[in-house]
Amino acid sequence: MHLAGQFVRRILQGVVVVLITTFLIFSILRIVPGDPVRLIVGGMAPDNLVEEIAQKMGLRDPIPVQFGRYLSQVVQGDLGNSYQRPKNGMMGQGGDFNANMDVEMAEVSDLILERLPYTLQLAGLALLISLIISFPLGISAGLKPKGFMSKIAFFISSIFVSIPNFWLGIVLALFITIKLGLLPSIGYQNFAYTILPAIVLAVETCPFIIRTISVSFAEISQEYFIKSGKVRGLTRNGVIYRHTLRNASIPLLNLLGIQLSTLLGGVIVVEYIFDYPGLGQLTIYAVLQRDFPLIQGIAMVTSALYVGLNIAVDLITYSIDPRLES
Amino acid sequence: MKLEDSSLSKKIFYDSWQNNFFKFSVIFFLFICLFAFIYPEISAIKAEKMNIKSKFLPPIFFEGFSWTHILGTDQLGRDMLMRCLVGLRFSLIIGFASVFIMLLFGCLVGIISGFKSSWVDVIIMRITDAQLSIPMVILAISILGVSRPNLASIILVLALSGWPLYARVSRSMALIERDKEYVRGARILGANDFRIIFFLVIPIILPPIAFVSVLDIARMMIFEAILGFLGLGVQPPTPTFGNIIADARKYLINAWWIATMPGIFLVITLVTLNFIGSTLEKSKNKIFGEGI
Amino acid sequence: MSKKIKFSRRKFMKFMAKSGLGAAALTSAPMLNHNFLYNSAFAASGKPLIFAAAEALTGNWDPTTHTNLGQLIFESYVFGYLTRCPMKPENPTQLNFELATEATEIDKFTLEFKLRDGVTFHNGKPFGAEDVKATYEYGSQPDRPAQWYPGQVDVEVVDRLTVRIKTEKYGYPAGLFYYLSSFLPILSADDVANPNNAASRPNGTGAFKFVEQDGDNTIMEANENFFMGKPKIPRVQYNFVGDTATRTLGLLSGEYNVTERLEPEQVDTIVANGGFALNQAVSTENKYLWFRCSKPPFNDINMRKAVAHAIDREGLLDILGISGTYTGCHVSPVKFGYTDVEGFPEYNPDKCQEYLAKAGFPKGKGLPELEYITSVGFYPKTKEYGEYITALLNEQGIPVKLSVLELGAWGNKLYDREGGGPGHMIDCGWCTGSPEPDLVIRTHFHSSSKRITGIVDADIDAALDKERNAPSVGEREQILKTEVMPLLVDKMPSVPLFGSVFIHAMANDVKDLYIYPNGMMSAETASIG
Repeated sequence: MHLAGQFVRRILQGVVVVLITTFLIFSILRIVPGDPVRLIVGGMAPDNLVEEIAQKMGLRDPIPVQFGRYLSQVVQGDLGNSYQRPKNGMMGQGGDFNANMDVEMAEVSDLILERLPYTLQLAGLALLISLIISFPLGISAGLKPKGFMSKIAFFISSIFVSIPNFWLGIVLALFITIKLGLLPSIGYQNFAYTILPAIVLAVETCPFIIRTISVSFAEISQEYFIKSGKVRGLTRNGVIYRHTLRNASIPLLNLLGIQLSTLLGGVIVVEYIFDYPGLGQLTIYAVLQRDFPLIQGIAMVTSALYVGLNIAVDLITYSIDPRLES
Repeated sequence: MKLEDSSLSKKIFYDSWQNNFFKFSVIFFLFICLFAFIYPEISAIKAEKMNIKSKFLPPIFFEGFSWTHILGTDQLGRDMLMRCLVGLRFSLIIGFASVFIMLLFGCLVGIISGFKSSWVDVIIMRITDAQLSIPMVILAISILGVSRPNLASIILVLALSGWPLYARVSRSMALIERDKEYVRGARILGANDFRIIFFLVIPIILPPIAFVSVLDIARMMIFEAILGFLGLGVQPPTPTFGNIIADARKYLINAWWIATMPGIFLVITLVTLNFIGSTLEKSKNKIFGEGI
Repeated sequence: MSKKIKFSRRKFMKFMAKSGLGAAALTSAPMLNHNFLYNSAFAASGKPLIFAAAEALTGNWDPTTHTNLGQLIFESYVFGYLTRCPMKPENPTQLNFELATEATEIDKFTLEFKLRDGVTFHNGKPFGAEDVKATYEYGSQPDRPAQWYPGQVDVEVVDRLTVRIKTEKYGYPAGLFYYLSSFLPILSADDVANPNNAASRPNGTGAFKFVEQDGDNTIMEANENFFMGKPKIPRVQYNFVGDTATRTLGLLSGEYNVTERLEPEQVDTIVANGGFALNQAVSTENKYLWFRCSKPPFNDINMRKAVAHAIDREGLLDILGISGTYTGCHVSPVKFGYTDVEGFPEYNPDKCQEYLAKAGFPKGKGLPELEYITSVGFYPKTKEYGEYITALLNEQGIPVKLSVLELGAWGNKLYDREGGGPGHMIDCGWCTGSPEPDLVIRTHFHSSSKRITGIVDADIDAALDKERNAPSVGEREQILKTEVMPLLVDKMPSVPLFGSVFIHAMANDVKDLYIYPNGMMSAETASIG
């Protein structure tokens, strides 16, 4: 009963957060310079036509009015249609005059759902790689804070956190894909194209995970039940895996919740470099083309993912260790 | 726990200073800064000077190099060393300025939020939640978008995208300080919230956070490079790491050094900064406790 | 003519000879002689042709709505033209007949085309005189955004397979359509009657049929009913790949068969790698620095000349390497009427200062900050030479700020508007699939069109009208060379920076793909492997 109430409260809070996010992005897009209508009708169209179409689209109404209209649409499950991408075509470019175009535009939800699996695949693989690297380093650093492995972990974290993802991406593409021909990485044909981008992302996230693991292992290994475990005659390794791992997973889960937006931010850059057809690449083009409905849709989906994941993390945390309810 | 802020800062710094690597990093970092700010001014070679005839010169000791350009030249025959140094200069300015602003703004908002546990607090915390839920890159490119950004707007955008974390940390610290003896005492003596926040609480809360923010300077420098790479950074002809690397991308196969040199410069600077930051953070944790 | 320019000119001639040879070696079969190939049966070879293109299509398939070069390339696969003009350097004005079989000049204002029998559109409807009439009359309307036509036309249907192009009512000679016929894709009369159909899917008579749009890939398949027989290549994909490095990498790794708009360094890489053929040809495209002539400060001819004298075009060619070639007037060297204009402004700081002083801005003092807009991602080296030109102008005291825009944003700032287009100078090229010079100079400099510059100048108008109305081709050429081109150089509404050399690279197993100097293609007899 208590848990259910807590859950409902969190969900409501989450909805408020997503609403604020959407409103922030919605207003920012309309305040900063860059008229989407100019991009829709093309460079040759006269200014009065731009004005006319903008009014027809409701883009000259006050922002709260526009936002209300948008929300009432979203409530019905409709994220709107892209300004720039026709249903079955590519975006217009150059000085084209498309005002009289009667082509149906792609639905934002379709565009996002189409790209999301690619991004999840990339992010998932990246997470897997960084966990594989981080666990041994983090655990050994955590158990012996003054030991050699601890120094190694510290150095690797400092170096990884200092490498800009786009630069690493370019350098890896040059050496691994072009010079050595080991792994393909530009565009997407099959799963192999995910590996290199995932490595770049993993390098970006590793330092945070190493740190979290080592800190929580250092803390937990001090705690009483490890000592009591020794008293009971269990081996050291047995204790680590039985108790510590389970308890260390709590800060780790929390970290994943917080780091999700960093991970998604990295995805944008990495996808752009590797021409990987995921959500990140879609975002960049959407922003450059001032495709308002698409940017709003993406922001709303990312924010909902973040909020949802954090609620899930809290619930899991609670089920692992009910003492940590907060 | 009644602590003078100056002694606390000194303690943290002194603890870090015991570490030889920290000493070395600080000295090295100061050296890099001096080099970046002074050398381009006194050198005969100017960063923006083009010489089409000597484009694509490799760094020294590679076939066809020239002693005049020890790191080689770029696609327009400009000296890579100078461009890297000027790029570093902008990178440092942007990193320090944006972190300074986000630190001040974030802490101020956080402390006010912590002291006014009412609807102000709720609103501010929901806004930070919302902002943390959007990747910084989306936020930044939405704002910078198609407009041509300048130095000030980039610093503001970076600061804007980083303040929520500071607000949260300082809020949680303010919540602790609020109930402490000295605050109550000051209140009894008739000090208002404004006085208490500015003269009592900020001097206690800010220093430990400031030490940790060194790590954020490095993050902001990377972030600035990312924006430059996406074409949303400081505009040419001003060289920044991001735009040098972005432009040099297509020459990677033929002239690898143009994209690689600024990358190495950036990585070395950031590693130094991160060492400094991490060591300070460790010392702070030792003295002040975890959780910031 | 200065010594410097002479040197460039020599270099250019040498280059022409080289590229001519290159192109000839690559396209050994005289593949455009359609009559010759008419009955040959083509064996199908299975591989698709994947073309990595530098420009995205517009999403509106009506050819009269855009000036998008990428889409012109796409149209060259899907649509038919009355004629095709390969514009080979050794014979730039040779015409091959496609949907037409014969062209006759009846009188100054009437041009007759006999049409090919037995051709059908992709939707199954037979091609005939009505379609030509509908297309030409529709496309020549002044409100069509593409504006390739010199003026309106009437088309008389003589019989099912004969049309007469009539221009008397509009006061210019019909002979202009002789070369234009190779550039205007023929639509079906039904689609013209219902432009929404024309916009929603392309329906031509070309060798390839449009199948679908899959993201940034446009998929076409061989047209079984193509009048020359079904092409050997079963499928063609037009893939938009915005980044040149990605295009190069994709070609090297075998993901694409053909790619375009390569830069010199990438060409080096491809050559070093081996296994690829290069096609480099002087294109119909000149790149220009366009002035916004309708507003200060470039409404003053002295300012335009000052800038022209501040630009070191030799340096530009050094930056461009094999991607650029010398140009001596406002049309490309492969265009009809090209000439090296005597006294073309050379790089000369003293003269620049002289003109600046005349304009009332000695040493650039008093000038506001001028915005110079350029694009990235499509044209080679725009940012590099943009920075170079900016530095040169700053050296002369002209305060210029370079704005490097992403292609879409740049396209939206390109054209003239009321009160002058955005910024003060903008970089752009102009590329058309015909040797016809009016497609450039009339489009841009006549007050009825004034696309980018917004220039309104009675002298230029008069010269352009005189040239268009010339009684014979020979006289027209004379007027172009001795009056129009020198006048344009004198008024300098834009600075012709250099002529573009188009570099395509294709895998060695791609055979008999012909690439026109504007980038359009013929793949009807091409094969892979």
